[in-house]
Amino acid sequence: MNRLLTAALGLAPLALLLALWQAATTGGWYTSVLLPPPIEVARVFGAQWPDLLRHVGASLTRVCVGLAIACITAIPLGLMIGRFKWLDQITDWTIQIFRSLPGIALIPLAILFFGIGDKPAIILITLAAFWPLIISTIFGVKSVERTLLKVARVARAGDALVLRDILLPSALPSILTGLRLAAGAGWLTVVTAEMMAVKSGLGYYIMYAQTTFRAEEIIAGIVTIGAIGLLFDQGIRLLRHRICRWQEGLVLES
Amino acid sequence: MSLLELDAVSKTYRRGQEVVQALDSVSLSAGFGEFICLLGVSGCGKSTLLQILAGLEPADSGAVQIEGQPIAGGHPNASVVFQEHGLFPWMTVERNVEFNMKARGVGAAERRSVARDFINRVGLAGFERRYPHELSGGMRQRVGIARALTTRPRLLLMDEPFGALDAQTRSIMQNQLLDLWQDYRATVVFVTHSVDEAVFLADRIVIMSPRPGRVRSIVPVALPRPRDRADPAFGQCVGEVLGLIHDDLRHLMGA
Ligand SMILES: Nc1ncnc2c1ncn2[C@@H]1O[C@H](COP(=O)(O)OP(=O)(O)OP(=O)(O)O)[C@@H](O)[C@H]1O
Ligand SMILES: [Mg+2]
Repeated sequence: MNRLLTAALGLAPLALLLALWQAATTGGWYTSVLLPPPIEVARVFGAQWPDLLRHVGASLTRVCVGLAIACITAIPLGLMIGRFKWLDQITDWTIQIFRSLPGIALIPLAILFFGIGDKPAIILITLAAFWPLIISTIFGVKSVERTLLKVARVARAGDALVLRDILLPSALPSILTGLRLAAGAGWLTVVTAEMMAVKSGLGYYIMYAQTTFRAEEIIAGIVTIGAIGLLFDQGIRLLRHRICRWQEGLVLES
Repeated sequence: MSLLELDAVSKTYRRGQEVVQALDSVSLSAGFGEFICLLGVSGCGKSTLLQILAGLEPADSGAVQIEGQPIAGGHPNASVVFQEHGLFPWMTVERNVEFNMKARGVGAAERRSVARDFINRVGLAGFERRYPHELSGGMRQRVGIARALTTRPRLLLMDEPFGALDAQTRSIMQNQLLDLWQDYRATVVFVTHSVDEAVFLADRIVIMSPRPGRVRSIVPVALPRPRDRADPAFGQCVGEVLGLIHDDLRHLMGA
């Protein structure tokens, strides 16, 4: 399928939504104070873009730092847990318990411990990203083909080589799927956390717009969040495409 | 001294209540450079025997020695070619062929040049950068064989390596394997279902019978090499081996 068609297909529902929105405002379904027309929102982007950009920068930085910390910790840990059964037995229940705690529930605790600022936000993002990453890493390692481990054993490959040349690449597609989930979770968390725990970022921008009763700014913030979420996801897909070239033709495109 | 010595090797698998005696007191010896085929119906313990020789499974009792050394956790002078070829899908042909050397700590430059040699030798020059899924079944098997040979094994273990190939590719691969065997001299233990394949390849055919897995008889194949399937002596040998196996089947069916 060619690129243009793909883009057209992907944009079609969004265009429909925009048309509905426009119709709703011209038809006067809601007062324009509550639901400003699209052009008003576009004006916000025109007038406030330096400010918006600053908030985007703040949110993105937090998400990236949080994701990075989560990757550095969850991936090696997941590789070890997937490899060694006894580690799996020790950690299994704990992981299942902690991963089902919603990050939002931890916000008050994080603020109590770390005050208002970057720290609680980044910690919450790290936590939100950690669980999908570690679970998909463990799953990836466990689903390695048995024959390949036999090949390694007959070749007398050491643990380090098995981890680096067999388990990691074998788990990589699964890890990248985990990363997509983690990025989504991180992005959700940052906006929520910024509504309470920090004084910058898109979440803060939206909350502030609400207190000043500027619906067009709230919507501009939401549109920005959605756009960045999409870019993030596309970026990780591209990464997966690059790193997992060997998978082409083996699995359905995702 | 023989290269390979098995003395009364037994192996039982237990899965819950179910107990399967995969091998019952199997004894066998092979000299250096000998080509042995393990032949027998499904479930007679051929793969189990090979796994024990590879050090992948322990025997319950009995002794296994390679060059006078008891094997434990694999032998440095043995290589294995697996049925599903066991190639790493994320490595190119070149990297796959290098793997066994890498595991033994051979330096990158030497690995590369040895790998190139073997890739050329099995006729895969130009495919170094391909991934396994971009190759045909026969080509994948050749990669597996090249990888197994890079460490110059004295014992080469092959579990139905050509089982999944079409008849024509299979015959080409058999000839190529014999060429390589002439050049690199190793004791080969080759598992197969095919009587024709066993007679074409083997110095000796070890016929196994199931439940429990035992060595039923050992048939030396004295035909001169290169062997010709059209030769009446070839057909006679195939008939003789088939007869032995059919006796087994009849016995199994309780007739
Ligand atoms: N890991 C295992 N656990 C339990 N039983 C096993 C295991 N491996 C093999 N067996 C059993 O041991 C017996 C011998 O199996 P083996 O795979 O050695 O036979 P085979 O001769 O290689 O058969 P085939 O020609 O079908 O490959 C079979 O009955 C099989 O079910
Ligand atoms: Mg088998």
